[in-house]
Amino acid sequence: MTTVFAAEPMPLEEKIAKFHELFETKINRNFCLSNGACVHCGLCIESCHYYMATKDPKTTPVYKTDAIRRIYKSRHDWLSRVVPFWTGAARVRTREDLDRLRDIAWGSCTMCRRCTINCPMGIDTALLIRSLRAILYAIGEAPEGVVQVCKDQYEIGNQMGVSDEDYIETIEWLSEEHATDVGDPRAKILLDKKGANVMYVVNPREVKYAPLTLLAAAKIMYAAGEDWTMPRSGWDNTNFGLFAGDDKLGAKMGRALYEKAQQLGVKKVVVSECGHGFRATRWEAPNWAKMDLGFPIESFLETMAAYVRDGRIRLNPACNGVAVTYHDPCNLGRSSGLTEEPRYVLQHCVTNFVEMYPNRADNWCCSGGGGAMSMSEYTGRRLEAAKIKADQLRETGAQIVVTACHNCIDALGDLIKRYKLGMKTATVGELVAKALVLPERPEAAVPVQKPLEKAPGVPVKVLVADDDADTRVFLSAICEDNGAVAVTARNGNEALELARSEKPDIITLDIDMPGKHGGEVYECLKKEDALKNIPVCIVTGQPKLRGLIYDLEVPHPEGYVDKPITEETILLNLRLILNLRQ
Amino acid sequence: MTYDRFVELLENEIQIAALAFMATLYAVKVWRLMQLNPVTDRTPDRGDPDAGARYSLMLVAMPWELASYRSHPIKYAEFVAFHLAIAAAILSTFLIPYAPGLLAIPAVKALLMLLIAAGLVSGVSRLLKRLASPALRAVSTVDDYFSILLLDAYYVLALLAIPDAATHRGSIAVFFGLTAFFLCYVPFSKICHYLLWPFARYYIGKHFGKRGVYPKKAGSARPGRAMAA
Repeated sequence: MTTVFAAEPMPLEEKIAKFHELFETKINRNFCLSNGACVHCGLCIESCHYYMATKDPKTTPVYKTDAIRRIYKSRHDWLSRVVPFWTGAARVRTREDLDRLRDIAWGSCTMCRRCTINCPMGIDTALLIRSLRAILYAIGEAPEGVVQVCKDQYEIGNQMGVSDEDYIETIEWLSEEHATDVGDPRAKILLDKKGANVMYVVNPREVKYAPLTLLAAAKIMYAAGEDWTMPRSGWDNTNFGLFAGDDKLGAKMGRALYEKAQQLGVKKVVVSECGHGFRATRWEAPNWAKMDLGFPIESFLETMAAYVRDGRIRLNPACNGVAVTYHDPCNLGRSSGLTEEPRYVLQHCVTNFVEMYPNRADNWCCSGGGGAMSMSEYTGRRLEAAKIKADQLRETGAQIVVTACHNCIDALGDLIKRYKLGMKTATVGELVAKALVLPERPEAAVPVQKPLEKAPGVPVKVLVADDDADTRVFLSAICEDNGAVAVTARNGNEALELARSEKPDIITLDIDMPGKHGGEVYECLKKEDALKNIPVCIVTGQPKLRGLIYDLEVPHPEGYVDKPITEETILLNLRLILNLRQ
Repeated sequence: MTYDRFVELLENEIQIAALAFMATLYAVKVWRLMQLNPVTDRTPDRGDPDAGARYSLMLVAMPWELASYRSHPIKYAEFVAFHLAIAAAILSTFLIPYAPGLLAIPAVKALLMLLIAAGLVSGVSRLLKRLASPALRAVSTVDDYFSILLLDAYYVLALLAIPDAATHRGSIAVFFGLTAFFLCYVPFSKICHYLLWPFARYYIGKHFGKRGVYPKKAGSARPGRAMAA
């Protein structure tokens, strides 16, 4: 297999030469205009959440793009070639120059395009930043997190490294959960059904960490009587080619999905609620892959809106009685024009919809776009910049912020905790599923959930490691109510001792604990031969600490749950990890 | 050479030569731009690219559509005043030699001078803001400062020259001298942004129009209240 995800290490001089060589390949008409038309008017400055939160002049869109513009001018502007100091034109010469560009490209822009939409000249800042990222990525100047995700997409075919076997097992398990959920044993999530009306493609996060969103989508399509399927391959709608500026990766991911849809002969592809996933699949990847598609691609938002409009699903808004606001993901609102569909659907499934301002194409970024969630080195800055979003959310007074993007869900979850907003997050589909009035079906035997047992009468032993007493009691009670035996640890050291002495079947592990923190405990667990096979489900209230786990050079944990935990979520994850089906 | 002949030369041959020089360089610039491939898109439309392009080009006259202008209406007023003044000053360079009679009409003269004076106020304000704002200072180049100073000086000279139009005395020679320099300098400086502006707005408009983002949906700004940028 050819891997092109990582640049070969190269000396600085060679790297800089390569930088300039690649820079020239990025020049097209739009790139030239975005460099040449800027007049430094500064009207974009207040469009950027990084600048608005920090007031750092080095975070303005014009400053960031000027770093590119100055390089461009050094070769392509008449005056700059003769008197470069007059226009500030300059080539990249030193390690510091590269570091500065790296910081700009990856650490201080989410490519949300809010500045683009507010630029009177029509400068496409995101186009320039993506071009810069592409060059830096190709010369090995990309954050490790981005490189890792790209590597997984190149080698395994999805961004979370889910193996084919795990994917199929998860879908089969979710299919059984779905039957239970809708109370109809005939309800199924079918894989690779030929000629289906809909091929539903998802974000790997749904498969690995957020199966409830996939179950919600299944329930909605069941209620609508949809003829749908999920593909066995080409199912990842996300595409880090967009964030890394790697058109080859973008084409590879797109091609895998499109070819699968062609092979199955489906009528259309529906992309689950994922902002960049939809943008990449619908708008960008056909161009990268140079494919003309014979089928339409739509967002699940459009699908749900059509179901409501056509009367294919019935909703009871009273099921969602609390105040709900909607966050427009940048890749849907600003880059895809999908602003009215979610509002239409929400108006039919909640009783108290509160608009946030600004919204639609003017909305503020969640602060986690552009792959920012995978770059743990910039987490502090990301959360600082998120203050603007936090203020905007707080002003709505809503209890739930709904969005149609898994990346936004994670980023909003982070900022809600950081700024103590006390709000919950949800996808549109989750609220729709909650409000669904299911069609009546003939009575059928409904499968019941298996208890948490390894074999009949042999309970699963769960080690609950958490410094918060309430969480320990809550998790233990859920496990014991469902047939498991729970042992609890109050800190990291105790967790390791109990893991060695009790040999649990699974561990729920908090990250922020006294003594050894969760990252250290996890590393010890995975490095000790006797313990390394015990599955671990991370349960944390501080997603910003993710890096303590995911940056380790050991296999990733089997599960991950954000606090606050619900009984449903933790049980779903435990059963998924332990492979316990109905 | 007499002063009158010198002024005549400045007003005619030199201006025409400078204009021709500028036009030639503009033509080269546009030709070079057209040699580059535009970003192409093979995906089916969700919106109307042409409507998007029209909307995008019209945004210059729709400040309420840009959050940046909604929250800073003074900046928009300055933008309008500054650019109307340029048009008025350039118009003066044609009226003085070729239609001096029009400038003898007090209303025409007053209107031109009013527009240019407003542009001068706006230009000075823009310069001061650039100097005062750390964010703008961080990106400002010599060209930025020189261009705005050049235009402010141009407005001052236009204000001095217009009253002298009939006599062809006083500041006329300096005004036309600066005009000639201005025409020759513009293709090399940021001032030529207006040449690229329609192209940039057209392409971004097509792009957002195709995706159904342009024309922007109503309702993004809070009704009846200025919105944060």
